[in-house]
Amino acid sequence: MIERLALAFSIPVIRYAFFGMLVAGGTLSLLGVIIVSLHLTAIRFTLMHVGLLGAAAGLSLGYSPTLGAFILVIGTSVVMGRLGKEKSLSASSVSGLFMTGSLAGAFLLLAATGVPAMNVFDIFAGNILLMTKGDLIFIIVLGIGILGVFWVAYRELQLVLLDKDLARSLGLPVDAIVTGMFLLLGIGVATALRLVGALLVDAIILLPGIAALRFARNFGMALFLSALFGVLACTGGFFLSLFFNLPLGASAAMVSTLILAMSVLMKRTIH
Amino acid sequence: MTNIENQQPVVTLTQVAAGYGAALVLDTVSLSVEKGELIGISGRNGSGKSTLIKLILGEIEARQGLVEVLGTPMDTQANRRSVQLNIGYLAQSQRDPSIAISVEESVLLGRWGSNFAWMKRSTGHDRKIAREKLELVGMASLARRDIRTLSGGQRQRVSLARALVRQPKLVLMDEPTTYLDAETKEDLMQSIYSLHAELGITMIVVTHETFSSEFFDRMLFIQDGTLLPMGASS
Ligand SMILES: Nc1ncnc2c1ncn2[C@@H]1O[C@H](COP(=O)(O)OP(=O)(O)OP(=O)(O)O)[C@@H](O)[C@H]1O
Ligand SMILES: [Mg+2]
Repeated sequence: MIERLALAFSIPVIRYAFFGMLVAGGTLSLLGVIIVSLHLTAIRFTLMHVGLLGAAAGLSLGYSPTLGAFILVIGTSVVMGRLGKEKSLSASSVSGLFMTGSLAGAFLLLAATGVPAMNVFDIFAGNILLMTKGDLIFIIVLGIGILGVFWVAYRELQLVLLDKDLARSLGLPVDAIVTGMFLLLGIGVATALRLVGALLVDAIILLPGIAALRFARNFGMALFLSALFGVLACTGGFFLSLFFNLPLGASAAMVSTLILAMSVLMKRTIH
Repeated sequence: MTNIENQQPVVTLTQVAAGYGAALVLDTVSLSVEKGELIGISGRNGSGKSTLIKLILGEIEARQGLVEVLGTPMDTQANRRSVQLNIGYLAQSQRDPSIAISVEESVLLGRWGSNFAWMKRSTGHDRKIAREKLELVGMASLARRDIRTLSGGQRQRVSLARALVRQPKLVLMDEPTTYLDAETKEDLMQSIYSLHAELGITMIVVTHETFSSEFFDRMLFIQDGTLLPMGASS
């Protein structure tokens, strides 16, 4: 077993994949605490669909589908954040608007340009073994960025999550903070898309946060547990897939699901 | 503090009109609140009580007339901000919190911008004040609890502690006793009353409770967009 591990880790791509999953699991999962606390669960689902449209656009235009997904997801997250505020639309109305629109747009675009739909979906299955050193560096920078945001704005995030009106009356730039969170969410979802694929983004971004919020009694504990569960899911999934020759995204998602299932079984429910 | 400052009213509204969009809710409202007064405000649903509170808080602007709070005219964004930092505000509806946060931490957050913000961390002093205020409202024993697990009345008390944690010069409470049972209502009003007696802070409290008139220095009534002394109208 050790031999097999050593052999695997002698391959650069495997190393990149492992560290990528480790960092993503420990940092992207922190975003889940925000998603759940701000009731944005609908939005991350929308961002996945928008990613699909972006990939279709990228393919149709002859660029990289990943790049297309990235740009569109980040752009949309900012627009959605602003829309929710200026037109006072609820998060779920905004996401409904964008989700259906982008799904329809993706299919229309693919039909019009004659790109086979499966090409898009392929990419959205996520393929971590295509990860380059550059990708790894990007994930590490993003991870440090996320940790930095939580470190610098620790109290500010708490305030916005607790009560936006109160935060505003204390002079916090609430709208800027919310826009920043949407942006971070967009980048996080776009990154997770690449790692584990569209349908399994939740495994990294959402499920650890939900499980953490069940156990935690304060904010610090919620963040810590969320990161811990994220790391467990991602590294656990990594080794599962390595030893049993399983797809990585699905393995990580399975571990993540088991953690959440355990938290449901073990803990009194708060919500 | 000089005599002059003592004599200056804490809140002055002069012929103020305010509303939302095309609708005018308050029309020619005048009010002067002295330092240390405990004022009760009542009126029918939709009469404009919350609007009056938000006007004093600087959340909405006057259409006409003059609003002065703590000696500062509330006519610029900068003025409103600086005044807000000295006001403790208890909103009419408390959102169900979905964030995991301890009771004490949630109270501590009310001090944001006074002693800590962004990179500047909160200190033991902030914690101490938060704990003191929790004690004042009788919630010290629940300081470590997750706020999501509190009852509505307990949450209301925590919000009150949060409104006080900045050591404000003026406290505005919009129906602090909503959702509470009759006994808890009296209990909370009683603690607001003794808080006022103890701290001497100027307080304006919106309330529907008829029993509470005895607690206040003055009771005012909003009707047809104007503010009347209680008993002055039908
Ligand atoms: N944000 C808003 N936009 C438009 N109209 C509003 C807004 N807030 C309040 N109003 C209207 O202004 C009027 C006064 O509202 P306000 O909230 O001040 O009443 P209130 O006296 O506090 O009532 P309640 O006892 O129900 O709390 C109402 O007719 C209400 O419909
Ligand atoms: Mg009201």
